[in-house]
Amino acid sequence: MPSVSNLHILDFNGVCFSYGKNRPFIRNLAFSIREGDFIGLLGANGSGKSTILKLASGILKPSSGSITLWGRDLSRENGRDRAKLISYLPQTLDIGVPFTVRELVSMGLYPYDIPPAMDVDEALDVVGLLEKAEARLMDLSGGERRRTFIAMTLLQGAGLLLLDEPLANLDIRYQIELVKLLRNLRAVRNISVVMALHDINMALQFENVMLIKDGGIIGVGKPEEVLTRDRVKEAFDVDVDIKKNGVKGMYISYEHNF
Amino acid sequence: MSQLKILILFFIVLFVFFCSLVLGPKIIMPGALDDVEREILFSIRLPRVLVAFLMGTALGASGAVLQGILRNPLADPYVLGISSGASLAAALGIISGMIFLGSVTTPVLAFIGAIATGGIVGVMGIKRGGFWPERLLLAGVGMSFLCSALLMLIMSLSTDEGMRRATLWIFGDLSMSDWQRIPYGSALVLIGVVLSLSRAKALNALILGDELAHSLGFAPQRERFILFISVGLMTAASVSLGGMIGFIGLLMPHIMRFFFGADNRILIPASALGGGALLCTADLVSRTVLPPMELPAGVVTAIIGAPYFLYLLRRKDALSI
Repeated sequence: MPSVSNLHILDFNGVCFSYGKNRPFIRNLAFSIREGDFIGLLGANGSGKSTILKLASGILKPSSGSITLWGRDLSRENGRDRAKLISYLPQTLDIGVPFTVRELVSMGLYPYDIPPAMDVDEALDVVGLLEKAEARLMDLSGGERRRTFIAMTLLQGAGLLLLDEPLANLDIRYQIELVKLLRNLRAVRNISVVMALHDINMALQFENVMLIKDGGIIGVGKPEEVLTRDRVKEAFDVDVDIKKNGVKGMYISYEHNF
Repeated sequence: MSQLKILILFFIVLFVFFCSLVLGPKIIMPGALDDVEREILFSIRLPRVLVAFLMGTALGASGAVLQGILRNPLADPYVLGISSGASLAAALGIISGMIFLGSVTTPVLAFIGAIATGGIVGVMGIKRGGFWPERLLLAGVGMSFLCSALLMLIMSLSTDEGMRRATLWIFGDLSMSDWQRIPYGSALVLIGVVLSLSRAKALNALILGDELAHSLGFAPQRERFILFISVGLMTAASVSLGGMIGFIGLLMPHIMRFFFGADNRILIPASALGGGALLCTADLVSRTVLPPMELPAGVVTAIIGAPYFLYLLRRKDALSI
């Protein structure tokens, strides 16, 4: 496994953001993503996960504070240059997209005048979709569609991948497949991954988790340290039991709530 | 494979162009032309065929661009009222005798009308920061009715025969085509097609949604604006060349997407060429099918286009962009 280096690739410095004038949503948020990080952004619906990812990708602009990408001010970054460093996949990917798998993946080359070393076939091979290169996106399963977009971001060559709830609406098999694929990409290609999710047990598969509530961080670190009974209660407003078993040494149970 | 298809399309365009020049109430074989035939060919047929081709090109390409930027398979300049807005502005110019820019006054006014109507429809179609397809289409239909009604009013009120004739072409009459409108028409179409082609990658990205377009390095609002201007230019060209003709902008991108795929770097030029060929064919049919009577070319495009469109509807996912 690659170790997380000390090189900061993304820094939030006292970031504030509000939707509309009198609705402050993110208050004074500060954190860093280091090279090689594999972070699960965990929180209830409306806790601010998506907003944080959109701020990190430059789609939303902070009302105060600053965000730096490899030490450079994100807001001053040229669009194409930014696209070579950071890639964002929204939660909802339109299923009516008319392109074939190959057409879509090759869009990852758009920020480049001179294509990088990786070609479309190689990217498709990494995500296991080479055989479906000529299929239309709308004819794929949800998991395959997600992997197609991941292949596009691979070709884009960004070192930081921001994924908004990519596991939502996927069967458990595809969820496992996708998390394994991303872990592998991180191991082989040293791509840092920040992924929003709301399944607390899936969060155990991440090296680090960031627990979010009301636009702020209530815990960050290894999942087994962060996901305590009290913090999960605070974040999700639900009582859980932390069971000691499983590969990770723990399992979060909420069955007694029923 | 794709190159072969493009080559075939190119030959179809050349074939249609040639047939449109040769065929008609009088068949003219190039080679041995007498004075009358030369007059028919160069003063009547060639400008008419060029006007039809340019209009079809503009309509086909602008349909492809509009369907992409609005992510809506039913978008085209006619449905969204952009053509009616352009026509109304041009007609108002003609009626009031505006000639501040000489012969380019009409296309300039048509461009202003196209952009203004498109802007109004766009603003009305926005809800919670994004385009809502149903709102957009309904706004387009509403604006289209309003502009058409105002055009009819102008026509009914104008007593002068010259003015009446001048406004007639707005309703898609190609029989009055002459060389006068061709230079600015081709310039506008060329600028529009080149501008939209130069942003074809951005258009592909916009189809994925604004957030993914941003992630790929594009500024969605800016790209959409540039592409919208290209649609305005092409619609203005089309309307000032021969008035309003529907169906081509709606239909041609669907046909071409079926053959060439959805990549706008190929789809825009293919829809442009296909649109040109279709309107030339429609015009040829309109002036040969019931001689000496001429049908409006727009009627023929609808008669040719509608059955194919209905066939497409039955195909799975045919109405996705």
